[in-house]
Amino acid sequence: MCIPDKNIYKPHLATIDAIVDETHDIRTFRLVFEDEAVRDSFAFRAGQFAEYSAFGAGESTFCIASSPTRKGHIECCFRAVGRVTEALRRLEVGDTVGVRGPYGNSFPIEEFFGRNLVFVAGGIALPPLRTLIWNCLDWREKFGDITIVYGARTEADLVYKRELREWEERGDVRLVKTVDPGGNGPSWDGQVGFVPMVLEQAAPAAENTIALVCGPPVMIKFTLPVLEKLGFGDDAIYTTLENRMKCGLGKCGRCNVGNVYVCKDGPVFTAKQVKAMPQEF
Amino acid sequence: MPKTITEQNLHLLVDALLREGKRVVGPKRAGTVTLYEPLRRGEELSLDELPRRSAKETFFPVCESILSYEKREGRMTVRDVDLSRLPESVLIAARSCDAAAPGILDAVFSWDYHDEFYLERRRRTVIIGLACTTADDACFCTAVGLSPAATQGSDLFLTPLAGGGYACAVVTEKGEALLTAHAGLFAEAESIEALPPAEPAAAPLDLKRIKAWLDANFEHPFWGSIAERCAGCGACAFLCPACHCFDISDEGSETKGERRKHWDACGFGKFTNHASGHNPRDVQPQRYRNRIMHKFKYYDDKFGLTLCTGCGRCIRACPVGIDIAAVLDEINSKP
Ligand SMILES: Cc1cc2nc3c(=O)[nH]c(=O)nc-3n(C[C@H](O)[C@H](O)[C@H](O)COP(=O)(O)OP(=O)(O)OC[C@H]3O[C@@H](n4cnc5c(N)ncnc54)[C@H](O)[C@@H]3O)c2cc1C
Ligand code: SF4
Ligand code: SF4
Ligand code: FES
Repeated sequence: MCIPDKNIYKPHLATIDAIVDETHDIRTFRLVFEDEAVRDSFAFRAGQFAEYSAFGAGESTFCIASSPTRKGHIECCFRAVGRVTEALRRLEVGDTVGVRGPYGNSFPIEEFFGRNLVFVAGGIALPPLRTLIWNCLDWREKFGDITIVYGARTEADLVYKRELREWEERGDVRLVKTVDPGGNGPSWDGQVGFVPMVLEQAAPAAENTIALVCGPPVMIKFTLPVLEKLGFGDDAIYTTLENRMKCGLGKCGRCNVGNVYVCKDGPVFTAKQVKAMPQEF
Repeated sequence: MPKTITEQNLHLLVDALLREGKRVVGPKRAGTVTLYEPLRRGEELSLDELPRRSAKETFFPVCESILSYEKREGRMTVRDVDLSRLPESVLIAARSCDAAAPGILDAVFSWDYHDEFYLERRRRTVIIGLACTTADDACFCTAVGLSPAATQGSDLFLTPLAGGGYACAVVTEKGEALLTAHAGLFAEAESIEALPPAEPAAAPLDLKRIKAWLDANFEHPFWGSIAERCAGCGACAFLCPACHCFDISDEGSETKGERRKHWDACGFGKFTNHASGHNPRDVQPQRYRNRIMHKFKYYDDKFGLTLCTGCGRCIRACPVGIDIAAVLDEINSKP
């Protein structure tokens, strides 16, 4: 007896349906599962990740960047930095990639019902929040005020530019976009300054508000004290950890921070949980 | 009445199992060392010394294919490995420290998601353990709760007899079935005189106490002091019956090839390196700390088990003389 479905390492096949170049090295794929049954049954929650493969190069970990409310396809957004991501970038519309997942925990979105949300993202780290942002926007009436603070080094490094415009224009979201000093062009209509500073100026009220923070370690390091100053408690702040992963299944022993396995116990953690971990990430 | 088997009949048992089409893995001379390797005939069995590498490969190969892929006329297909073609196996004369390890690894390979590559090999293998009658300076199975005569993980268990040959104890039904099928090779003895088991010099460690210290001392100068000379060679992990870290990579072109799972080691510098260049464990003492923590704290936290059987292989092989038993001893004696 061959036991095909018992192979936990076997990816589903998905066709690249659309490609968007976000920046010079960041690209979004829209993926459609080849198998109709998988297309219908594939379900995930905002915050979960998958292992994507470029056959011949290997597998790489990205969050699922599209909203679970949008069916029929998933999206991922990746920066080309190495072997697998460069190989993925060589693929074209119509080519096949492998997708294993969804894995990991997710944002407890139901717990956010009735509350205000502040999203804080830096650079390439918008995708893990974008899944939640769209999830929340699709259920807009369930939440109070929604603020998005998003920054990148330069204008050119901002991802999802067209969606930033959409969020700006829809009227029920407050978008604060920023670039590092010197990263602005002549027509830049956003803020200039580092994310934590801009967040402090924007000063979203902490009362009944959840903060969701994703970005490079240095951004997170400087953002947490600002949130604290604004009155956010450690269990009102969520972030995702992005340790190097291989199996995504709690077996390969690669992603642990102390006895926490980011692939199984994470990638979503509260600031309170993060502070309780050994500082090894 | 106890069952016994002569050395010669043990060889005949191997031959009979091979004739049945089974894969038989056992200690065999390979140049100047002994290794657990597939046997071609019973005479190849060499039971005098502890094999240099553990028997882990029987269940968890150094490198194995987990799927193959091929693109034809623009269409990618992925083919599964047919696990039903894995051979029925017998691991014979596995020392107690090696026989116990697969049972410990079952926990990680079967929690939540099941790794059938490992688990199916486990199901298809009968383990015949062998008691040790000699120990060397590095052996410390007794310190971690096992012993040279521990039958944990074995289906049948051999104990060398004073007059030659072995007593064969039945430990599990799987073992009983194998013994019954080859009953003719075994004799029944009124009484037996077993050779005394080896006596490793190591004193028992208080694993609970060690864990309590690890729980509280992630940051401690001790880590720097014991591990700054670690070369990060990974020898300890590759020889260990209990280390299970692995990598997954593709071998082939974009249009045809295999995806493989292969051993890795948390002692390697790039093990946790991020694409950004940031490395959460960027110096060797942090990596060695992870090795000890994983074995004596994290695995216990997750599964209630210790990820070390005291085989001493990492001690014998470490090129810079890092001695895990001494490290544990030191932790054990810390206030
Ligand atoms: C939960 C999670 C979610 C993530 N989400 C996203 C996401 O949405 N988008 C995204 O872009 N990323 C995301 N990441 C990060 C992503 O997984 C990595 O960027 C990606 O795996 C890099 O893979 P690669 O094979 O292309 O890089 P690799 O080829 O493995 O290379 C990584 C880096 O190491 C260097 N390197 C590799 N080998 C060597 C060597 N031998 N010597 C010296 N240097 C070397 C490379 O030059 C490169 O800089 C996420 C990670 C996690 C854990
Ligand atoms: S850690 Fe060392 S002594 Fe313990 S099982 Fe592994 S190789 Fe043997
Ligand atoms: S064998 Fe010794 S030097 Fe090599 S990685 Fe292990 S502890 Fe370090
Ligand atoms: S990615 Fe393998 S254990 Fe987490």
